[in-house]
Amino acid sequence: MSGRANSIIPSSIIIVGGGASGVVMAAHLLKSANPDLRVTLIEKRPHFGQGIAYSTLLSAHVLNVSAAGMSAYADDPGNFWRWLQGRGLVDPEQTPQTPFYAPRSLYARYLGELLDDLEAREQPTGRLRLIHEESLAITPTASGVEVALANGTSVVAHLAILATGHDEQPAQGHAIRMGSEADTALDPESRVMVLGTGLSMVDAFLALEQRGHTGEIVAVSRRGLLPSPHRKGNPIKLDVADIPLGTQLSYFVGWFRDLIRENQKAGIDWRDVVDGLRPFNQKIWQNWPASAKRRFVEHTKAWWDIHRHRMAPEVYAKVTQAVQSGRIRLVAGRVVGITPGEAFSVDIQSRHSQLVETFDVARIYDCSGIVRDISTSSNSVVRSLVDRGLARPDPMRIGLDVSANCEIIAGDGTVSRKILAVGPLTRGTFFEIDAIPDIRVQCARLSKQLLG
Amino acid sequence: MLTKKGKYGLKALIHLAHMPAGQLAFVNDIATGNNIPKKFLDAILGELRNAGFVQSRKGKDGGYRLARPADEIKVGHVVRVLDGPLAPIPCASRTQYQRCEDCNEATCQVRHLMLEVRQAIAEVLDQRSLAEMRDIGLDDLARDIDDRPLAVKVQA
Repeated sequence: MSGRANSIIPSSIIIVGGGASGVVMAAHLLKSANPDLRVTLIEKRPHFGQGIAYSTLLSAHVLNVSAAGMSAYADDPGNFWRWLQGRGLVDPEQTPQTPFYAPRSLYARYLGELLDDLEAREQPTGRLRLIHEESLAITPTASGVEVALANGTSVVAHLAILATGHDEQPAQGHAIRMGSEADTALDPESRVMVLGTGLSMVDAFLALEQRGHTGEIVAVSRRGLLPSPHRKGNPIKLDVADIPLGTQLSYFVGWFRDLIRENQKAGIDWRDVVDGLRPFNQKIWQNWPASAKRRFVEHTKAWWDIHRHRMAPEVYAKVTQAVQSGRIRLVAGRVVGITPGEAFSVDIQSRHSQLVETFDVARIYDCSGIVRDISTSSNSVVRSLVDRGLARPDPMRIGLDVSANCEIIAGDGTVSRKILAVGPLTRGTFFEIDAIPDIRVQCARLSKQLLG
Repeated sequence: MLTKKGKYGLKALIHLAHMPAGQLAFVNDIATGNNIPKKFLDAILGELRNAGFVQSRKGKDGGYRLARPADEIKVGHVVRVLDGPLAPIPCASRTQYQRCEDCNEATCQVRHLMLEVRQAIAEVLDQRSLAEMRDIGLDDLARDIDDRPLAVKVQA
């Protein structure tokens, strides 16, 4: 922060991307009382507050976090809950402590209305401007930044914050993304394959179910692991003084397993231990040597994800029932060959027996949810920053390299004072930065850092 | 509180941080150079290896070296591995908590203050790298002499 201390407070800020993280960022900036503040939010989709996660209209697609954790404001955890209550969307008898997993479309409505309210409030001040257009590139200028738009015009400001969210990389090979144009009508009894067994696979299953599809779903991932269900609990209290930082991954995992075992002996659910670690996850990640980070992403993340990123108990019940009835078949293995034809013939090598089994499927859905390489991003702003050397991928290439203050780092290592990033793009530095409870804290901190 | 084990471990790591990059140090040299009992040092280095701070090579030319650059290893990382959770007093730890048999926590002001001390310890130790500790100059050390107990100063 020492570098910024002498400079003037930036008063005009462009947020590139008006999905959930962009709206949350704008909301936190506009908490500032500065009358000269100008926030411009740019989104290419027709609606604000609806990135990949919250644009689904299916009622079966519910939030993976209970309502009490989904407020857009870091310092007002009850905000979403009160919104639900105000519109009669929760039972009057329910308390914020009762787990409630709202449909994601409802959450999109909440963010949309929150932005509408901000727009109405700021109308006389002119502090908020919304632009429906695709951003093409950000270029630093002598006095700030210029964002080029697809309609040929451009907007300028002191700073730009990238909030482009999850990367929509094209599906691999013959697989397609669910809900994309290629996802045409399907024989409801046909067998389909899903690459991935995590929360995106669960979404795909729920969508197929809602469409009336009844055929077998073969879900394949390296380990074939299904995420766990939520259970009401009380996260254990830990302190940074307790947690081994900066060690090799195996040492940390050993410590964490022991901690779970000890707590389980005392009758405490493992979820409460996993959730108790949450406030320290970013610190743990940032202190690990590069080798531990790489090893984690390669070997431990799949195991971590199914315990850490859980689903609503009702959804879990539906999925396990489908697994038991044979509707969903979970396969641990990897695709070793695909022969396209009338249908696809997919060869899967089992992780355990090493035997190859062939599945004939009508369609392959890509739900693997892995960013393969950010420099091949489908987002033109991100790609052009990397191409021009103004940004670089993080060492794992899962996002952009950013400083602990969210400033993007150029190809030559220079830390930008003008271009920043929030949300999933910053996961190389902040690790778990996909969900609202983490993104809102990041936005609150960044807002304070920029505007005081 | 820093135990002897923690102190010896840090001294051994400073010794390794002084070595030219990649060069191994003999355990005997580390032990005699820092006045550490050899057997104890073996055990300490073994733990540091498990945690990924040092690497070892066996055999006649064997020895130890840092597994990572000294500016990437924080002092707090090492102390937690050797001495366990940072805590000035056992009742001020969450995971290694031990109740004091001779007092009532609900009314213990000492414990209350020690919780604050715990935060301060973590803050200092997690900010300082092994390289920074190694490079503490003789000037700084000389200044510390003023902190020594009076009796010693008189003798000096």
